[in-house]
Amino acid sequence: MRLEPPVPLAALAAIRAPFAEAGAASVEVPVLQPLALLLDLTGEAMRPRLFVVQAEGGEELALRPDFTIPVARAHIDGGKPEGRYAYEGKAFRAAPQGSARAEEFLQIGVEIFGNGDPADSDAEVAALAWRSASAGGRDDLRITFGDIALFGAFVDSLALAPSLATRLKRLFTRPRLLAAELDRADAGEAARPERFVNPLEGVPEGHGAGALRQLWAIAGIEPVGTRPPDEIVRRLAERAEASRTPSLSPAEAKAVRDFLAVSSAPEAALDAVRKLAGPSTASLDAALAGWSRRLANLVARGVPADRMTFAAAFGRAFGYYDGVLFEVRSPALGDERPAAGGGRYDGLPGRLGAPSTLGAVGCAVRPARAFAGGVE
Amino acid sequence: MSAPQNSPLILAIPSKGRLKEQVEAWLADAGLPVSATTGGRGYTARIAALPRVEVRLLSASDIAGALESGEVHLGVTGEDLLRERIADLESRVMLLRALGVGRADLIVAVPKSWLDVETMADLEEVAHMHLVRTGRRLRVATKYIGQTRTFFAGHGIADYRIVESGGATEGAPASGAAEIIVDITTTGATLAANHLKILSDGVILKSQAQLAASLAADWDDERLAVIRQMLGLVEARARAKGSVMLVWPAERDEAARTALAELVARGARPRANGLLLAEGELLAAQSLLAGAGIGPVAATRPEHLFEPVSAAAESLASRLTVGN
Repeated sequence: MRLEPPVPLAALAAIRAPFAEAGAASVEVPVLQPLALLLDLTGEAMRPRLFVVQAEGGEELALRPDFTIPVARAHIDGGKPEGRYAYEGKAFRAAPQGSARAEEFLQIGVEIFGNGDPADSDAEVAALAWRSASAGGRDDLRITFGDIALFGAFVDSLALAPSLATRLKRLFTRPRLLAAELDRADAGEAARPERFVNPLEGVPEGHGAGALRQLWAIAGIEPVGTRPPDEIVRRLAERAEASRTPSLSPAEAKAVRDFLAVSSAPEAALDAVRKLAGPSTASLDAALAGWSRRLANLVARGVPADRMTFAAAFGRAFGYYDGVLFEVRSPALGDERPAAGGGRYDGLPGRLGAPSTLGAVGCAVRPARAFAGGVE
Repeated sequence: MSAPQNSPLILAIPSKGRLKEQVEAWLADAGLPVSATTGGRGYTARIAALPRVEVRLLSASDIAGALESGEVHLGVTGEDLLRERIADLESRVMLLRALGVGRADLIVAVPKSWLDVETMADLEEVAHMHLVRTGRRLRVATKYIGQTRTFFAGHGIADYRIVESGGATEGAPASGAAEIIVDITTTGATLAANHLKILSDGVILKSQAQLAASLAADWDDERLAVIRQMLGLVEARARAKGSVMLVWPAERDEAARTALAELVARGARPRANGLLLAEGELLAAQSLLAGAGIGPVAATRPEHLFEPVSAAAESLASRLTVGN
């Protein structure tokens, strides 16, 4: 396994210092994590990056690829409603073939669980990442923000048919499918799929599952697996509905494209988003107001306004982030190797078995990248 | 016949099952019957016509590994296994010839009861619904992890995870081990028996047995010469199949050529007092010749039809740096 070049102790102490001031409890988590759980939470695309180990007869485990999931598990197991945790330790990711990246690397970070104003905790965590990464001595750092939830709010503003809006929101983290959807809108009616006929058309509400079972019996189909008949019934109806309702118009597709192209200083970027919005702006207005608070908070916490970028298309194709996310990048390192990164993942605790809706946000710094004298 | 010399060309063929029989039949048909070596305990064999070739019998999956590492020069195995075992296939192995046997498709199959799912796009949506409903990702049972991942990524499917399957993959949805499968199918009968259907755009690979050369193996001019012979023979045999050679009396040659001009225009090849044509044209040729009153006409099937150069052998030669 490739190691990182060492970071001098003084530099490491400087990078660590902001986390010590965050009032977080220090936490240790197991290096070995259940493979099935990691893949469930991050997706199959993570598998090539994982080191997998297995004791004879035991379950498959992976060396932790980051700390977020183990720290969230530890918090949930502790049973407390709120918590803030700082960690420092090695994480492990297999490098792609031919890459010289370190596969075993030091991470320092924080995870915050609680239900305060998310705009406040987002800004706190991003400012922490900024101060820590900056302490490494690089003078070319910038912090780039994105917001997965903002895309949803923007789509809502366009007042589309619900099935279409749901589909677009899902496609945000699947850039290729989203591009194909927008291209179809440009092609207009010619690219519309064939009209889908629901075999259960006309079956009264509440009798769908029974009708589906009859249809299976007539067709000689034996159902396997645990997918609920109701879901199949609902989706058959949705497909028929979607094939009847108008698809995205070229003008709406253009608005979505223009939104995704927004990338500039945050104030200007959010103004641009406001101008591109459609008629029903209630949830978008709320999201933009949240961003105004967040930006003021970031500046108050010492993140220089002229080092911030907001990129509307910045989201991740896999992983668990579902709101604001950010990366501290250095042109000298390249965008592919951020010195720090983090974001909001409110959906994750529930999937790990947290009893109620629990806000969650965190960040991690890679000291070997943040350190100005480092090469990785 | 002399024994293989000190630097043999090693050919790996499957050591068991239907694929072994099919590959041996294919070689025998081309005029290269494989015979067991005395004392080889069934793990080595030889081909009398090619004394420089040492035949090794390995499992179909080990053949892929041996080609990747260069332990063997040539191997015959399924393309599905080559693509699964060798990450960067094109840079490590060269496919020389598809055998036309061992046909199998690598496919994505879902329960037949999913009436709303016909395409990969449907699956993308249903996988997301599964995640939202259960908090878990849709499980895909398969032995073909690499190809599944690449194919699913190409279709933008993110909300799934692979459950590695040891065997009887097609039973996974019924047993509850997974929701859907990616597996090899030949006739589809096993899928149907397990109440599964193939998605309309869910064919990942149309696989068949391939004769493949390792680019990592130790090559020299002599071994390349053996490849040229072997491929020449195999290709000549394939060309000969489906061809018919007609021969008519020499004194009627001109009349026969006039009668068959349209067949030549369609690709039949004139020979001295005769014509080489595709089997499907035989009856057409016979009625034209009979119409012109030409006979007797002999029709024979050639064993081999040789060309001076094997394109596959030459492109292998150009990929290898030979002679240093």
